[in-house]
Amino acid sequence: MAQTANILGPARNRVDGRAKVTGAAKYSVEFTPPKCAYAWPVESNIAKGKIAAVDAKEAQAAPGVLAIISHLNAPKPKEPAAKKERNSGHGIRNEERLPFGDDEVHYAGQYVALVVAQTIEQARYAAGLVRVTFTPEEPLLTMKAAEDKAKKPETNHDEHVQLKKGDVDATLTDSGLTKIEQTYITPTETHNPIEMSGTIAAWDGDKLTLWDATQFVKGVQSIVSRAWNLPTENVRVICPFVGGAFGCKGAVWPHVLAASMAAKAAGVPVKFHVRRQDMFTSTGHRTPTEQTIALAATRDGKLRAMRHVTNTLTSTVGEFTESCGARSTGVMYDSPAIRVEETVFPVNVSTPTFMRAPGECPGTYALECAMDELAVALKMDPVQLRLANHADNHPIKNVPFSAKHLRECYQVGAEKFGWAKRNAQPRSMRDGGLLVGWGMATKTYPAHKMNAAAKVILRADGSATVQCATHDLGTGAYTAFTQISSEQLGIPFEKVTFELGKSDFPFGPVAGGSNSTATVGTALHEVAGLLHNALAQLAVKDSKSPLYNEKADDITMVEPGRIGLKNAHAKSDSYIDILRRAGRDSIEVQSELKEPEENKKQSFQSFGADFVEVKIDPLLPRVQVTRVVSVINCGRVVTFKPARNQIIGGVNMGIGMALMEATEYDPQTGLPVIRNLADYHVVTNADAPVIDVTFVGEPDFAFNPIGCRGIGEIGITGAAAAVANAVYHATGKRVRDLPITPDKLLDIA
Amino acid sequence: MPVRLKINGKDISADVDTRTTLLDLLRERLQLTGSKKGCDHGQCGACTVLVNGRRINSCLSLAVVHDGEEITTIEGLANGEQLHPMQAAFVEHDGFQCGYCTPGQICSAVACVKEGHAKSDDEIREWMSGNLCRCGAYPNIVDAIKDAVAKNA
Repeated sequence: MAQTANILGPARNRVDGRAKVTGAAKYSVEFTPPKCAYAWPVESNIAKGKIAAVDAKEAQAAPGVLAIISHLNAPKPKEPAAKKERNSGHGIRNEERLPFGDDEVHYAGQYVALVVAQTIEQARYAAGLVRVTFTPEEPLLTMKAAEDKAKKPETNHDEHVQLKKGDVDATLTDSGLTKIEQTYITPTETHNPIEMSGTIAAWDGDKLTLWDATQFVKGVQSIVSRAWNLPTENVRVICPFVGGAFGCKGAVWPHVLAASMAAKAAGVPVKFHVRRQDMFTSTGHRTPTEQTIALAATRDGKLRAMRHVTNTLTSTVGEFTESCGARSTGVMYDSPAIRVEETVFPVNVSTPTFMRAPGECPGTYALECAMDELAVALKMDPVQLRLANHADNHPIKNVPFSAKHLRECYQVGAEKFGWAKRNAQPRSMRDGGLLVGWGMATKTYPAHKMNAAAKVILRADGSATVQCATHDLGTGAYTAFTQISSEQLGIPFEKVTFELGKSDFPFGPVAGGSNSTATVGTALHEVAGLLHNALAQLAVKDSKSPLYNEKADDITMVEPGRIGLKNAHAKSDSYIDILRRAGRDSIEVQSELKEPEENKKQSFQSFGADFVEVKIDPLLPRVQVTRVVSVINCGRVVTFKPARNQIIGGVNMGIGMALMEATEYDPQTGLPVIRNLADYHVVTNADAPVIDVTFVGEPDFAFNPIGCRGIGEIGITGAAAAVANAVYHATGKRVRDLPITPDKLLDIA
Repeated sequence: MPVRLKINGKDISADVDTRTTLLDLLRERLQLTGSKKGCDHGQCGACTVLVNGRRINSCLSLAVVHDGEEITTIEGLANGEQLHPMQAAFVEHDGFQCGYCTPGQICSAVACVKEGHAKSDDEIREWMSGNLCRCGAYPNIVDAIKDAVAKNA
């Protein structure tokens, strides 16, 4: 059975739980300053063309209207220089264009004017009075239409996305091998956190405060300060709670700068709460993908060649690569020949962005369905096929994975699920009149680490405040960082207050790529060392201290609340006594921002396995997922309850991806025709199964001193494939274009 | 237009634009920001409040039509420092992640139990499906509601 005792942190309740259940937790657009006005957008109803005229006369005269901005009169910030580094503190922009910058229309739904009025009702009414006329041009809307403009990017951020290892083409023609080749389609998916994006902008002379729903307060600060040519510290960004994000609040989207432009024009603070319909056009989405996978294996299931060719869309005003192949086929199985190709087609649709496990999520969907098809072709159990191709080393980098326990994930998952009782024959399992299907898939997500710094204020009463400009998107960051601070500093959990979500605090990176716990955790480890050293410096000069005249460098934390000699723990002193004798109310230390050291001798990657049961009425083929077993190998789990919840949520989003989520566009105009939560179906309570989550493995101390590898994204990977594979097993029908809606299964009866 | 409401036990008089929704009155005029705006279309349930004990989407309801009615928002559920059993159960079972749908979920859950629609897991799941949780914490929400029912029984 799984040994989990050494990886599981305490199952405590969230420190911010009380604030969230009482309504006391304030989200960004809820910090309404005095005299705050409201913005309401006017948007393009064409996908490409020019703004011919803006007639705002009637709107301007409407009650309560303070300002109307468009490209004709908007205050002009400058284009903040693009910075592409993944690890960058310079912020992220996907749509690289200033709002209201010119008369060009690049996509349907682009903001073309913004009305500011004293109340929401007045702004909304007046926006309806603004008449914008367009000169439409023929938009590029499909891969085929944009063929001439297609690009094959060499890299995405700092990673290679076109991969070549061995002779794939020759192996794929070897008649002695079992082969499959199929194309898998995923539609545009939209993040749709329940909190819509939003920004309140308030100017005070040349100082700007932004209450912004963001995954990256320091990034917003950098971009907005550079856009307005202000010293960085003149822009303050505040975001203590994020109402879900999943990637759509990582970049700075047009509404953020637009709010600051509108506030300048109106001369009062302005609140721009993005409307739900605009969450489909102006805060990013997951690009649709078309993935063709070819696999060749020996009779006993050993992979000899894998080819993963991906086509995705981006916009004409921003580059975005989804990296499906590199992030799935490029890391998953031991194969002597691997080829990954990625082509991106720019179209007149709003710019895509990272959505939970960008690349890994659609990539594992396609790869893990292809592996299921290969298992069928080989008449082999899907778990056995995966075990036969287990990669001890990274298949491209050829260095060992650190603390990888994927075999255990399969074994524990299969045992808990009861996989041994599976009849491999499709349509062989029933529950009364319902078809029952069991499917599985491998999950994976890389361990990312960026850079961060932290500040600690330790007080003579033994309490501490710890600060970092990081974020809690619902991930449990407040709780995890309180826990890590408590352990690293040696201060009781109840006496630590962890603060985040303010650009005034030491640097924290974007809360993306599941990097925060590893990154900020490392900073907390470092700042704890600085605190212990600072206390040692006081103690060695204090004749009343047992550590008097010792060398500060020989001193470390020997037990919570005490520092002492590394080699003689008995000689020690307490934090509180040191501060009191020194006559100090408090002591403050801050760590420096350092580039993380890169360990090239090992590869750091999390893995897992999902086992899924579906039940389908053949006469009304709506797929119901009835249970899921999810086993995760992600290093140490700092706080159990939020971590388990992350996996549950990721799997549920994967079920949505498999069965219902799709943003459809009108093929003629490029306007999204699905722009609300009644049409964009996400998993509801009635759709959600019981999900049994188990964590296995060991802390990954080679990756960071906390031993964690991150947990926010791995949950969604593989999940859609496990559902799709279960649907095949239940029905005998392989649906290769998501979502698997009832219409695609009408012929199974 | 003048409107008189009893919100969380307190008499409130306000002069409102007839176009103002109950949700915008709460959030923008009365600083009761516990009720959330998640779609403004009555599709997500984040704005759920109790009107005369009945759960409604406050974004789909104009403030003026509630003249003289009793409104309970998430801010009105706890008894001083003492959390409502449903609030306590949500904390204990981690029935949320980001917390943005949570006030609506909890108001909805309180009404769901009162309606007698919390007698089984399946019944809870069905009758709580008007409240979306994009974080997907549904199994924990069901556990929290069951626990609150058991403790009240």
